[in-house]
Amino acid sequence: MPELRRDPIIGQWVVVANDQESLTPMAYEKEGHERTHESVCQFCPGREGYTPPEVAAVRFNGSQPNTQGWSTRVVPNKFPALKIEGGLDKRGIGIYDLLNGIGAHEVVVETADHHRDMADLSPEEIVWILRMYLDRGLNLAKDRRFKYIMVFKNFGESAGASVEHAHSQIIALPMVPKLVDAELEGSSSYYKFRGRCLFCDILEQEYADEERIIAQNDQFISFCPFVPRFPFEQWIMPKNHQPDFFALSEEDIMPLALMIKEALARMKACLNASYNFYIHTAPIGYKDREVYHWHIEIMPQLVKTKGYEWGTGLYQVLTSPAVAAGYLRDVDLS
Amino acid sequence: MPQLRKDPVIRRWVIIATERARRPGNFVTSQNVDFGNKKDCPFCHNTDPEIFAIRPQGSGSGDWQVKVAPSGTPILSIDTKFKRHGFGLYDVIKNYGAHEVVIETPEHIANMADLSQEQIRRVMEAYVSRFKDLEKDTNLQYVFVYKNYGLASGSRPIGHARSQIIASPVNPLRVKEKLAGAKKYYDYHERCLYCDMYRQELESKERLIRETEHFVAFSPFAPRFPFETIILPKKHCCDFADGVAGMEGDLALILKDILLRFKIGLDDPAYNYVIHTAPLRQKRKGAKWQTIEEDYHWHIEIMPRLAKAAGFEKGSGFYICAIPPEDTAEFLRKVDVHA
Repeated sequence: MPELRRDPIIGQWVVVANDQESLTPMAYEKEGHERTHESVCQFCPGREGYTPPEVAAVRFNGSQPNTQGWSTRVVPNKFPALKIEGGLDKRGIGIYDLLNGIGAHEVVVETADHHRDMADLSPEEIVWILRMYLDRGLNLAKDRRFKYIMVFKNFGESAGASVEHAHSQIIALPMVPKLVDAELEGSSSYYKFRGRCLFCDILEQEYADEERIIAQNDQFISFCPFVPRFPFEQWIMPKNHQPDFFALSEEDIMPLALMIKEALARMKACLNASYNFYIHTAPIGYKDREVYHWHIEIMPQLVKTKGYEWGTGLYQVLTSPAVAAGYLRDVDLS
Repeated sequence: MPQLRKDPVIRRWVIIATERARRPGNFVTSQNVDFGNKKDCPFCHNTDPEIFAIRPQGSGSGDWQVKVAPSGTPILSIDTKFKRHGFGLYDVIKNYGAHEVVIETPEHIANMADLSQEQIRRVMEAYVSRFKDLEKDTNLQYVFVYKNYGLASGSRPIGHARSQIIASPVNPLRVKEKLAGAKKYYDYHERCLYCDMYRQELESKERLIRETEHFVAFSPFAPRFPFETIILPKKHCCDFADGVAGMEGDLALILKDILLRFKIGLDDPAYNYVIHTAPLRQKRKGAKWQTIEEDYHWHIEIMPRLAKAAGFEKGSGFYICAIPPEDTAEFLRKVDVHA
């Protein structure tokens, strides 16, 4: 029988399969990823005029903005969930609170090549993408209306991607999102009690247990968390305590690109599934630098959320993280 | 201008899209589901052990009208001894609990919306009876009833109406957040948040879908998904099994009404519902539960499965709802359930 596990960050209980009864990668149904919309793709080179004017880009040979000759390009989302112009206008209606949907919503077109996903890019190309995240994040953080910068990626239709050309998204928000807020609360109370970073302690346990580690280099580690919410969930974390992704140092960029490349390539070879990833980082101007530890969460889309998971937040995961890490580790990348 | 709205209970912000909003009719998604063959249906002539059943009056052992059986694919089971242990930083409980299936009708009918009000009332009575029985186990903390209808809801392709009951030794995360949010509101206002909510919804009427003698059904102010619906009893009670006593027929009436509005208005979509109630309170009269009778209010959440949660939502707990709840409520209000 599976067991119940509680994660120490937000206190979520998850029903996790035991190692013997865990489902293998083959047991999950996966959708195909054929790319069929190249002829009308607005993210492809030569169609720069179809997107709103770019806000940043990695360009070659002195090419002009909004023309060809780029490798990575950041444009405002054509259908933004939030608007950049205006005041917040916080107000209440009876028991309810609301404010204007102010925010920035940008798209990072990760490559000019319509047929490659982030997992297929070279570490150098991923470095360019990371530079765009940092550049845009630092820029948006200057806007005093914003409290949080969220970087995320949807790959594949069942993960919510509406465009097949490889892209990620940056959203600047006037409040801290619920899950990150819960992580901050959990790690603060842990810090108050023990005087240590909860995430650093999680890494210590990962090193000791070993079985959930997938890969590591000098600066970064990837592992399957002991209490996942989804099967084959994978986290990338800096080994040294760092609260803020947007403060990433120059010498950490390439090691991070290598770790992301490896994580996505292993996942692709093992599952070839749709996935989401997002960067969890401290809010803008967060003062308690000892408390939080930024990380990337990668979640393959292998199962439909069931009624009780949606309704109660009690999740069931049918592959244990130790078994999942084993499959991901065993992938031959050569 | 899109809006950012805060859920008053668990304090989650939701983006309500307005400018890129679609019309409610755009969300209509026929399932086109092959529900499989009736003769292979494991629920039509169910031979699983009977935990509980409702039979016509007078017939002691004959054909059942509603039957509760153990789940064939349980996520929790009572077979193991209750035991907590630590694993470094983590807390672990060996599997413990119960997982049961409520077969809602002996007939091969897929959607609860197509059962009679009388039959749905029997299903509610079966829920109550199971709650009363499961709460005797003091190792359990929470019992919830849920339903998956249609493939997109996570259900298996079997066209026979059923719901499920899980009894768990822990309080699930969203339940804890709801309890904490309701308590916080009560501590400050000395009133129940949900009582204030249904009164405001009845007064504003913008999000109201249906009102009956004992219940209101409305689209929540800050929904996570389009057409999310809440059924709230007017009478304050923290506990489903106690609170619904005497109102089972009225609950069946409003539940059938809402499910029919989904079926007719949205072309038979997949959906889920969950009954939210207070945790089991035997032997747990500590400080934590001092005001629970006053501060919590049982209710039902129903969600048609029309939109996918993408990375942004899953990873941040921050949702984008593609249409304002005022529009979906109006759409559902106008559905002719007698057609």
